[in-house]
Amino acid sequence: MGITVGTPDVEPDKPAHVAGVRRGNHRGFYKRQPGHRRDDRSTARRSTGINARHHNPVLPDMPNLSPA
Amino acid sequence: MTTRQAAPAEQRTLTDVAFDPITRIVGNLGIYTKIDFAAREVVECKSTSSIFRGYSVFMKGKDPRDAHFITSRICGICGDNHATCSVYAQNMAYGVKTPPLGEWIVNLGEAAEYMFDHTIFQDNMVFVDYCERMVKETNPGVWERAERTPAPRGDQHGHRTIGDIMRSYNPFEGETYKEALVMSRLTREMICLMEGRHVHPSTLYPGGVGTVATPQLFTDYLVRLTRCLDFVKRAVAMNDDVFDFFYEALPGYEEVGRRRTLLGCWGAFQDPEVVDYSYKRMNEWGNRMFVTPGIVVDNQLVTTDLVDINLGMRILLGSSYYEDWTAEETFVDKDPLGNPVDKRHPWNQTTLPAPQKRDLDGGNYSWVMSPRWFDKRTSDFLALDTGGGPIARLWATALAGKVETPYVRSTGHSVQIDLPRTPSSPEVRLEWTPPAFPNTIERNRARMYFVAYAAGMALHFVDQALNEVRSGVTKTFQDFKVPKDAIGCGFHEAVRGVLSHHMVIRDGKIANYHPYPPTPWNASPRDFYGTPGPYEDAVQGCPIFEENGPENFKGIDIMRTVRSFDPCLPCGVHMYLGGGRTLTQSHSPTFGTLADQGGHG
Repeated sequence: MGITVGTPDVEPDKPAHVAGVRRGNHRGFYKRQPGHRRDDRSTARRSTGINARHHNPVLPDMPNLSPA
Repeated sequence: MTTRQAAPAEQRTLTDVAFDPITRIVGNLGIYTKIDFAAREVVECKSTSSIFRGYSVFMKGKDPRDAHFITSRICGICGDNHATCSVYAQNMAYGVKTPPLGEWIVNLGEAAEYMFDHTIFQDNMVFVDYCERMVKETNPGVWERAERTPAPRGDQHGHRTIGDIMRSYNPFEGETYKEALVMSRLTREMICLMEGRHVHPSTLYPGGVGTVATPQLFTDYLVRLTRCLDFVKRAVAMNDDVFDFFYEALPGYEEVGRRRTLLGCWGAFQDPEVVDYSYKRMNEWGNRMFVTPGIVVDNQLVTTDLVDINLGMRILLGSSYYEDWTAEETFVDKDPLGNPVDKRHPWNQTTLPAPQKRDLDGGNYSWVMSPRWFDKRTSDFLALDTGGGPIARLWATALAGKVETPYVRSTGHSVQIDLPRTPSSPEVRLEWTPPAFPNTIERNRARMYFVAYAAGMALHFVDQALNEVRSGVTKTFQDFKVPKDAIGCGFHEAVRGVLSHHMVIRDGKIANYHPYPPTPWNASPRDFYGTPGPYEDAVQGCPIFEENGPENFKGIDIMRTVRSFDPCLPCGVHMYLGGGRTLTQSHSPTFGTLADQGGHG
């Protein structure tokens, strides 16, 4: 039996990924994120691009907890 | 509700009573019963759904990374459970492991979801069946007794009599009813903090979350959680009082909704210390989940192994509007461990809808299929139910004895929950012990205990997440590559029970995708072996305690039973407009001029 449907407007795989287009999840993109360090920690640069260094902790032992 | 007299059958006078649609649930469910009013018993029951979803049909060809955003729309109340489950399935397919902080954030969002959804369902929908107005109509004798019966836990919840509690459940005006709505707002805010949005999360992705982890995020969550705890402690005490009273006032009420113990739980809350989403290690990390996956048959824990659970899944037909797919393509013949995968397993299912007239006399009568779990010990296809979620989760977790956290622990025979002191209530220790058998009351009772369980777990998750943040570890997302060909499966608990997503990727696109939420298990019709689904099974043989006769029968005992499973057959997504009728399409730009012309599409 099946369901009778009209002619589709688009191909079923239309919303699939198009080869060659950059993907946000690509391996290696993490290291390009400003303020995100390789040791899984982050700096104030992840929160702001303006004078970010001035917003880092005053002592190196303090955790760097930048605002959202 | 409609009634009509049927001819006598087997010397019994049976009356057809149909409840279609069932209200106060999500979606479209009909319950068709045959009742023997003289013997006060439901003799036969069939559950039908008249709506077709079709996600498994239109997911094909999509980018797999979109799966959680699309499948979230399966449900308008537990969409984030679907998104989470889809993310788990994608993590397995992509071979990516979420950073610990990301995992704690997902767990916190899901804990808030359980608290939100169970509270709103219990206090705003289930308790309408137990409130003053309803009980006055259906069982005036019980209401009179409730007015006279003092509430044993009055010191904990502040109500003097059982009647007072039942009055507070009255819809739109009762104190508890209104308070539950306030709680649902708080808990939704908690979800939004963690997952960006409720009910369709915006910051949940495979590989992690986009939530920015700051100390503020977790303290905002904790403030709301603390306020909820006051309510949860009172709610558990009120639940116990009301349900104990029903047993006392209506001797034999434990038989209402009674069913053989056939419970399934697919586990919830991953432990970031062990979870890597690899199929080969699924048993190991599955057993470390903070709600233990498990199958409980006749009060015994059969397995906690997610691989066993996965391979035992069978989607049967028999009374559903579909054609068989055994002649269609086999997508996965062996799992990554080399075990054979059945043709009726979700990985190999092809959905072939066949719309037809409903035939309740031996024909097809539902759009729901019949998921079963193959028990290799007995070669039975078990019609597992979820009991609305909490009873199965608590039962499996209690018997497995694997959960050990500061606030919640499993003892091997029970679950203990310690809730700390909060602004208006002292600290409380709750203990849930499995009942002798599942029935309507026990399914409902477990629900509020699980809210307490989720709240206790949330406290633990906040502690763990803050430990990460305080040490400066703020990573919440791991990048990954989408493989050309892969398979994945995700196991999670939707609010009302088991949830699995099975995905096959080919050429970087989805080749097959099958979500199996709890209601297909619970609302399934008779399969081709003639085994009735759980609603049918629980309602068949159900004694009638309602004082009304056939003329003004409300079917309250049947409704209580069906609602105890927390039915959720979400709205349809397919519309067939016939031969090319065109819907008007218009577009309203955000800052455009069409808005003031009423041009909303």
